[in-house]
Amino acid sequence: MSYKCSRCKRDVQLDEYGGVRCPYCGHRVLLKERSRDVKEVDAH
Amino acid sequence: MTEEYDVEFVETGDRKARFLVRGVTPAFANGLRRAMVADVPTMAIDEVRFIENSSVMFDEQLALRLGLVPLTTPPEGEFVDGDTVTLSIDVEGPGTAYSGDLVSSDSLVQPAEDNVPIIDLKDDQRLEAEADALIERGKDHAKHQGGVAVGYRHLQRVEVEGDLPEFEDERSQIVRGVIEDDGELVPTSEFDDDLSNRYPGKEVSVEDVPNAFVFHVETDGSFTVDELVTRAVESLEARATELEEAVQL
Repeated sequence: MSYKCSRCKRDVQLDEYGGVRCPYCGHRVLLKERSRDVKEVDAH
Repeated sequence: MTEEYDVEFVETGDRKARFLVRGVTPAFANGLRRAMVADVPTMAIDEVRFIENSSVMFDEQLALRLGLVPLTTPPEGEFVDGDTVTLSIDVEGPGTAYSGDLVSSDSLVQPAEDNVPIIDLKDDQRLEAEADALIERGKDHAKHQGGVAVGYRHLQRVEVEGDLPEFEDERSQIVRGVIEDDGELVPTSEFDDDLSNRYPGKEVSVEDVPNAFVFHVETDGSFTVDELVTRAVESLEARATELEEAVQL
Protein backbone atom coordinates (compact mmCIF):
# COMPACT_ATOMS: atom_id res chain seq x y z
CA MET A 1 0.00 0.00 0.00
CA SER A 2 1.28 3.41 -0.90
CA TYR A 3 0.61 6.34 1.41
CA LYS A 4 1.83 9.89 1.65
CA CYS A 5 2.82 11.57 4.89
CA SER A 6 0.67 14.63 5.45
CA ARG A 7 3.56 16.53 7.15
CA CYS A 8 6.67 15.77 5.12
CA LYS A 9 4.79 14.80 1.91
CA ARG A 10 7.05 11.76 1.36
CA ASP A 11 5.84 8.43 0.05
CA VAL A 12 5.49 5.86 2.80
CA GLN A 13 5.26 2.09 2.50
CA LEU A 14 3.40 0.49 5.38
CA ASP A 15 3.99 -3.05 6.56
CA GLU A 16 1.97 -4.99 9.10
CA TYR A 17 4.47 -4.54 11.98
CA GLY A 18 5.48 -0.90 11.77
CA GLY A 19 2.12 0.60 12.76
CA VAL A 20 0.69 3.74 11.24
CA ARG A 21 3.63 6.09 11.38
CA CYS A 22 5.87 7.92 8.93
CA PRO A 23 9.42 6.42 9.17
CA TYR A 24 10.99 9.76 8.17
CA CYS A 25 9.33 12.27 10.47
CA GLY A 26 7.24 10.14 12.84
CA HIS A 27 4.00 11.82 11.88
CA ARG A 28 0.93 9.67 12.44
CA VAL A 29 -1.30 11.14 9.75
CA LEU A 30 -0.91 9.39 6.40
CA LEU A 31 -2.91 10.02 3.25
CA LYS A 32 -3.84 7.25 0.87
CA GLU A 33 -2.86 8.01 -2.70
CA ARG A 34 -5.13 7.42 -5.65
CA SER A 35 -4.32 4.14 -7.36
CA ARG A 36 -2.65 4.41 -10.74
CA ASP A 37 -5.08 1.90 -12.22
CA VAL A 38 -7.40 3.04 -14.94
CA LYS A 39 -10.85 3.37 -13.45
CA GLU A 40 -13.83 2.47 -15.57
CA VAL A 41 -17.07 4.31 -14.87
CA ASP A 42 -20.51 4.14 -16.45
CA ALA A 43 -21.94 7.46 -17.50
CA HIS A 44 -25.55 6.63 -16.66
CA MET B 1 -56.21 9.98 -43.00
CA THR B 2 -58.32 10.95 -45.93
CA GLU B 3 -57.41 14.63 -45.89
CA GLU B 4 -54.34 15.67 -47.85
CA TYR B 5 -51.58 16.84 -45.56
CA ASP B 6 -49.46 19.86 -46.18
CA VAL B 7 -46.33 21.30 -44.60
CA GLU B 8 -45.42 24.97 -44.50
CA PHE B 9 -42.37 26.52 -42.83
CA VAL B 10 -42.78 29.54 -40.61
CA GLU B 11 -39.20 29.79 -39.39
CA THR B 12 -36.21 27.73 -40.45
CA GLY B 13 -32.76 27.34 -39.05
CA ASP B 14 -30.12 24.71 -38.60
CA ARG B 15 -31.07 23.79 -35.07
CA LYS B 16 -34.41 25.47 -34.63
CA ALA B 17 -37.49 25.55 -36.82
CA ARG B 18 -41.19 26.23 -36.75
CA PHE B 19 -43.47 24.62 -39.28
CA LEU B 20 -47.16 24.13 -39.87
CA VAL B 21 -48.63 20.73 -40.66
CA ARG B 22 -52.18 20.58 -41.94
CA GLY B 23 -54.42 17.58 -42.29
CA VAL B 24 -53.07 15.39 -39.48
CA THR B 25 -54.94 14.17 -36.42
CA PRO B 26 -53.92 15.24 -32.90
CA ALA B 27 -52.83 11.65 -32.30
CA PHE B 28 -50.47 11.76 -35.24
CA ALA B 29 -49.09 15.15 -34.21
CA ASN B 30 -48.34 13.83 -30.75
CA GLY B 31 -46.89 10.63 -32.19
CA LEU B 32 -44.50 12.71 -34.25
CA ARG B 33 -43.51 14.78 -31.22
CA ARG B 34 -42.84 11.69 -29.17
CA ALA B 35 -40.84 10.11 -31.97
CA MET B 36 -38.65 13.22 -32.17
CA VAL B 37 -38.00 13.18 -28.44
CA ALA B 38 -37.58 9.49 -27.73
CA ASP B 39 -37.17 7.48 -30.89
CA VAL B 40 -34.38 9.06 -32.90
CA PRO B 41 -31.02 7.54 -31.96
CA THR B 42 -28.13 9.86 -31.17
CA MET B 43 -24.55 9.45 -30.01
CA ALA B 44 -23.60 10.11 -26.39
CA ILE B 45 -20.77 9.08 -24.09
CA ASP B 46 -21.74 5.99 -22.11
CA GLU B 47 -18.56 4.71 -20.51
CA VAL B 48 -15.50 6.58 -19.31
CA ARG B 49 -12.08 5.25 -18.36
CA PHE B 50 -10.21 7.63 -16.06
CA ILE B 51 -6.45 7.52 -16.35
CA GLU B 52 -5.94 10.53 -14.14
CA ASN B 53 -8.36 12.72 -12.28
CA SER B 54 -6.85 14.99 -9.68
CA SER B 55 -9.69 17.48 -9.95
CA VAL B 56 -12.02 18.20 -7.06
CA MET B 57 -14.80 16.12 -8.53
CA PHE B 58 -15.45 12.39 -8.37
CA ASP B 59 -14.92 10.26 -11.46
CA GLU B 60 -18.60 9.28 -11.45
CA GLN B 61 -19.80 12.88 -11.53
CA LEU B 62 -17.42 13.77 -14.33
CA ALA B 63 -18.56 10.73 -16.29
CA LEU B 64 -22.14 11.92 -15.94
CA ARG B 65 -21.18 15.35 -17.21
CA LEU B 66 -19.28 13.92 -20.15
CA GLY B 67 -22.34 11.83 -20.97
CA LEU B 68 -24.48 14.94 -21.31
CA VAL B 69 -22.21 16.58 -23.90
CA PRO B 70 -24.11 16.56 -27.22
CA LEU B 71 -22.21 14.77 -29.97
CA THR B 72 -22.88 14.98 -33.68
CA THR B 73 -24.58 11.87 -34.95
CA PRO B 74 -23.44 10.38 -38.25
CA PRO B 75 -25.89 9.90 -41.14
CA GLU B 76 -28.12 6.89 -40.96
CA GLY B 77 -26.50 3.67 -42.12
CA GLU B 78 -23.02 4.67 -40.93
CA PHE B 79 -23.64 3.20 -37.51
CA VAL B 80 -25.93 0.57 -36.12
CA ASP B 81 -27.15 0.13 -32.55
CA GLY B 82 -24.28 -0.98 -30.36
CA ASP B 83 -21.42 0.59 -32.33
CA THR B 84 -19.00 2.70 -30.30
CA VAL B 85 -16.69 5.62 -30.97
CA THR B 86 -13.82 6.49 -28.65
CA LEU B 87 -13.11 10.04 -27.53
CA SER B 88 -10.31 11.20 -25.30
CA ILE B 89 -9.64 14.24 -23.17
CA ASP B 90 -6.42 15.44 -21.58
CA VAL B 91 -6.43 18.81 -19.86
CA GLU B 92 -4.03 20.18 -17.30
CA GLY B 93 -4.77 23.02 -14.90
CA PRO B 94 -4.91 25.89 -14.35
CA GLY B 95 -7.85 26.29 -16.72
CA THR B 96 -11.19 24.86 -17.61
CA ALA B 97 -11.75 21.61 -19.46
CA TYR B 98 -14.34 22.20 -22.16
CA SER B 99 -16.23 19.83 -24.41
CA GLY B 100 -14.07 21.18 -27.24
CA ASP B 101 -11.06 19.47 -25.62
CA LEU B 102 -12.56 16.07 -26.44
CA VAL B 103 -10.65 14.46 -29.29
CA SER B 104 -12.68 11.99 -31.30
CA SER B 105 -11.39 8.97 -33.16
CA ASP B 106 -14.07 9.46 -35.80
CA SER B 107 -14.55 12.72 -37.65
CA LEU B 108 -18.30 12.07 -37.94
CA VAL B 109 -18.72 12.07 -34.18
CA GLN B 110 -17.59 15.36 -32.65
CA PRO B 111 -18.80 17.50 -29.77
CA ALA B 112 -21.67 19.54 -31.21
CA GLU B 113 -20.67 22.47 -29.04
CA ASP B 114 -17.10 23.42 -28.13
CA ASN B 115 -17.86 25.56 -25.11
CA VAL B 116 -19.61 23.25 -22.66
CA PRO B 117 -17.58 23.50 -19.44
CA ILE B 118 -16.75 20.14 -17.88
CA ILE B 119 -14.60 21.08 -14.90
CA ASP B 120 -12.49 23.93 -13.65
CA LEU B 121 -8.94 22.77 -12.93
CA LYS B 122 -6.59 24.49 -10.52
CA ASP B 123 -2.77 24.34 -10.46
CA ASP B 124 -1.38 20.80 -10.74
CA GLN B 125 -4.79 19.29 -11.33
CA ARG B 126 -5.20 17.13 -14.36
CA LEU B 127 -7.96 15.29 -16.13
CA GLU B 128 -7.09 12.50 -18.49
CA ALA B 129 -9.76 10.11 -19.65
CA GLU B 130 -10.97 8.02 -22.50
CA ALA B 131 -14.65 7.65 -23.27
CA ASP B 132 -16.81 5.40 -25.39
CA ALA B 133 -19.78 6.97 -27.12
CA LEU B 134 -22.59 4.85 -28.37
CA ILE B 135 -25.77 5.30 -30.31
CA GLU B 136 -29.06 4.86 -28.47
CA ARG B 137 -32.53 6.34 -28.22
CA GLY B 138 -34.04 9.06 -26.05
CA LYS B 139 -36.21 6.48 -24.32
CA ASP B 140 -33.09 4.71 -23.05
CA HIS B 141 -31.58 7.81 -21.49
CA ALA B 142 -32.26 11.56 -21.78
CA LYS B 143 -28.69 12.16 -22.99
CA HIS B 144 -29.66 10.39 -26.22
CA GLN B 145 -32.47 12.84 -26.97
CA GLY B 146 -31.85 14.52 -30.30
CA GLY B 147 -34.89 16.77 -30.07
CA VAL B 148 -35.07 19.17 -27.16
CA ALA B 149 -37.91 21.65 -26.67
CA VAL B 150 -40.15 19.88 -29.15
CA GLY B 151 -43.79 20.88 -29.01
CA TYR B 152 -46.80 21.91 -31.02
CA ARG B 153 -49.83 24.16 -30.81
CA HIS B 154 -52.99 24.46 -32.77
CA LEU B 155 -52.90 27.02 -35.52
CA GLN B 156 -55.16 29.93 -34.47
CA ARG B 157 -57.48 31.56 -36.94
CA VAL B 158 -58.11 35.22 -36.21
CA GLU B 159 -61.06 37.03 -37.75
CA VAL B 160 -62.06 40.64 -37.40
CA GLU B 161 -65.66 40.77 -36.20
CA GLY B 162 -66.05 44.53 -36.41
CA ASP B 163 -65.12 47.75 -34.62
CA LEU B 164 -64.98 48.06 -30.86
CA PRO B 165 -67.87 50.10 -29.38
CA GLU B 166 -66.99 53.80 -29.30
CA PHE B 167 -66.30 54.27 -25.59
CA GLU B 168 -64.94 50.85 -24.76
CA ASP B 169 -61.38 50.64 -23.49
CA GLU B 170 -58.93 48.65 -25.53
CA ARG B 171 -58.09 45.42 -23.72
CA SER B 172 -55.07 43.32 -24.46
CA GLN B 173 -55.72 39.86 -25.85
CA ILE B 174 -52.76 37.55 -25.44
CA VAL B 175 -52.26 34.74 -27.94
CA ARG B 176 -49.09 32.70 -28.27
CA GLY B 177 -48.06 30.65 -31.27
CA VAL B 178 -48.85 31.32 -34.89
CA ILE B 179 -52.03 32.92 -36.20
CA GLU B 180 -53.65 32.65 -39.59
CA ASP B 181 -54.97 35.90 -40.93
CA ASP B 182 -56.57 35.63 -44.38
CA GLY B 183 -54.37 32.67 -45.22
CA GLU B 184 -51.22 34.47 -44.08
CA LEU B 185 -49.17 32.90 -41.27
CA VAL B 186 -47.95 35.34 -38.64
CA PRO B 187 -45.96 34.38 -35.53
CA THR B 188 -47.47 36.15 -32.54
CA SER B 189 -44.02 37.41 -31.50
CA GLU B 190 -44.30 39.91 -34.37
CA PHE B 191 -46.94 41.87 -32.46
CA ASP B 192 -45.74 41.14 -28.95
CA ASP B 193 -48.26 38.28 -28.49
CA ASP B 194 -51.03 40.84 -28.15
CA LEU B 195 -53.83 40.91 -30.71
CA SER B 196 -54.81 44.46 -29.69
CA ASN B 197 -51.47 45.63 -31.11
CA ARG B 198 -52.21 44.11 -34.48
CA TYR B 199 -55.90 45.04 -34.67
CA PRO B 200 -56.27 48.29 -32.72
CA GLY B 201 -59.89 49.29 -32.20
CA LYS B 202 -61.24 46.05 -33.64
CA GLU B 203 -63.16 43.22 -32.14
CA VAL B 204 -61.59 39.91 -33.12
CA SER B 205 -62.43 36.27 -32.66
CA VAL B 206 -59.85 33.53 -32.23
CA GLU B 207 -60.43 29.85 -32.87
CA ASP B 208 -58.32 26.73 -33.34
CA VAL B 209 -57.99 25.53 -36.90
CA PRO B 210 -58.91 21.83 -36.81
CA ASN B 211 -56.12 19.41 -37.65
CA ALA B 212 -53.53 22.12 -38.23
CA PHE B 213 -50.55 22.10 -35.89
CA VAL B 214 -47.59 24.41 -35.60
CA PHE B 215 -44.55 22.48 -34.48
CA HIS B 216 -41.64 24.11 -32.73
CA VAL B 217 -38.55 21.94 -32.93
CA GLU B 218 -35.09 22.43 -31.53
CA THR B 219 -32.23 19.95 -31.69
CA ASP B 220 -29.29 19.56 -29.32
CA GLY B 221 -26.87 19.85 -32.22
CA SER B 222 -26.66 16.14 -32.98
CA PHE B 223 -28.12 16.85 -36.42
CA THR B 224 -30.15 19.50 -38.20
CA VAL B 225 -33.87 19.95 -37.63
CA ASP B 226 -34.57 18.53 -41.11
CA GLU B 227 -32.67 15.41 -40.24
CA LEU B 228 -34.45 15.03 -36.90
CA VAL B 229 -37.94 15.34 -38.38
CA THR B 230 -37.16 13.01 -41.27
CA ARG B 231 -35.71 10.36 -38.99
CA ALA B 232 -38.67 10.68 -36.61
CA VAL B 233 -41.11 10.17 -39.46
CA GLU B 234 -39.09 7.20 -40.68
CA SER B 235 -39.22 5.62 -37.23
CA LEU B 236 -43.01 6.09 -37.13
CA GLU B 237 -43.27 4.52 -40.54
CA ALA B 238 -41.13 1.59 -39.46
CA ARG B 239 -43.36 1.02 -36.44
CA ALA B 240 -46.50 1.17 -38.54
CA THR B 241 -45.08 -1.32 -41.00
CA GLU B 242 -44.02 -3.62 -38.19
CA LEU B 243 -47.53 -3.49 -36.71
CA GLU B 244 -49.10 -4.12 -40.09
CA GLU B 245 -46.95 -7.19 -40.62
CA ALA B 246 -47.52 -8.43 -37.07
CA VAL B 247 -51.32 -8.40 -37.32
CA GLN B 248 -51.51 -10.17 -40.67
CA LEU B 249 -53.43 -13.37 -40.34
